[in-house]
Amino acid sequence: MADVASHREFLAKNDLIAEQDNALVSPDMPLRANLSVIDNIALIPQYRSNLKYSMAADQAWALLVETGFQDMYAKRDPALSYSERFVAKLLRGVISKPAILMVDRPGMLLPEVHYPPFLFSILERMAAYLNDCWIIDYQWNRALYGAQISYPELDYPELPQTQP
Amino acid sequence: MIFVTNFLTRRGTALLATWRIWRDTLLFAARAILTAATPAAYNSATRTVVMKQIYFTVVQILPGFTLFAALLSYVLIQIVVTTAASYGLSEYALEVSMRLLVLELLPLITALFVALRSSSAINTEIALMKINGELLALENAGVDTMRLEFMPRVIGGMISVLALTAFTSVIALVLAYLAVYGWQTWSLPDFSRIMGNVFQNTVLLGIFLKSLAFGLAVTVIPVAEGMATPRMLFMAPISVLRGMVRLFFLIMLIEVASLAFKYI
Repeated sequence: MADVASHREFLAKNDLIAEQDNALVSPDMPLRANLSVIDNIALIPQYRSNLKYSMAADQAWALLVETGFQDMYAKRDPALSYSERFVAKLLRGVISKPAILMVDRPGMLLPEVHYPPFLFSILERMAAYLNDCWIIDYQWNRALYGAQISYPELDYPELPQTQP
Repeated sequence: MIFVTNFLTRRGTALLATWRIWRDTLLFAARAILTAATPAAYNSATRTVVMKQIYFTVVQILPGFTLFAALLSYVLIQIVVTTAASYGLSEYALEVSMRLLVLELLPLITALFVALRSSSAINTEIALMKINGELLALENAGVDTMRLEFMPRVIGGMISVLALTAFTSVIALVLAYLAVYGWQTWSLPDFSRIMGNVFQNTVLLGIFLKSLAFGLAVTVIPVAEGMATPRMLFMAPISVLRGMVRLFFLIMLIEVASLAFKYI
């Protein structure tokens, strides 16, 4: 940040956003290990909207089919590949149709694939459920995304140049 | 002098840590009971967890535990009946065996069995959920972990202990009748009169409250201990060890308090 004031403004704005109905997909937000993928996803509408399990599971199944990952529905977290785990976490966030879906450090979630194309293909399939999607990644990964996303206008400080 | 200061500091720190964990446990128990008493806390998801808890704690163990309780009850009834007969006190055999089994032993054994089987599992599960960040992830997804994870386990545990105690007590009653009167039905009025003398309303209330306290203990302590686990994997076994020791201590305390209330 350029100065302390803009830093505080940025944090206040993000606190306000965090209070809203947002969803976070992050390496620090694991799935429930003793629930299957479909139960992990269905748990959110079942709890938040008081849906019957069968209805919540139908919603979760529809999302799994839409992403093409329906074969993993009965797997539990330790049996999932990185991509499957990422999709499961994403669908857990998407199922509540959040105002903003935040994907935190996708490179850490998807170390086995070239992640920007994979991420965008999944997000495109989920377009009907998404209002806004923020991808939070390191600045040095910016080039990986190309022109497919818009960037926030943040004033980053110049890094000091080190002499060899 | 430094040695004494260090010793007292260490003991004081340990004492304060113990005090804090018991205080947190009591606070958690109060929160869980308050949440359980709030109708708005129940929804489809919480009911599913309660049902799962009852299934894992009661239904799964019912055949094995029933067989064990029946065997133990039968052996103890036979010992009491034979001993009473040898002293010429046969008329007291039924009453004594029922007081021993239904009022004291069966609730205690049920609580210990549920503690060994389910409380250790609950403690481990909650500790691992805390360490892995699963509780945090649920909170982040807008799920109240008290309503979804903790309160249903407490309710499920209490119902389970009550149900198992009631079931094994009925079996003990049937076995006692068979052991004393044999395979006939014309002694049922005598049996009913003796049981009426033993199980007066205050006694029944006492069994109910004791079983309720056992049920609360076997779920509240493991959940509270699991929640207090620091986010380090090597702390999981230590958390379970601490939880089980505290649980054993509390179960014995409830039993001793119940005995003291009744007989002293």
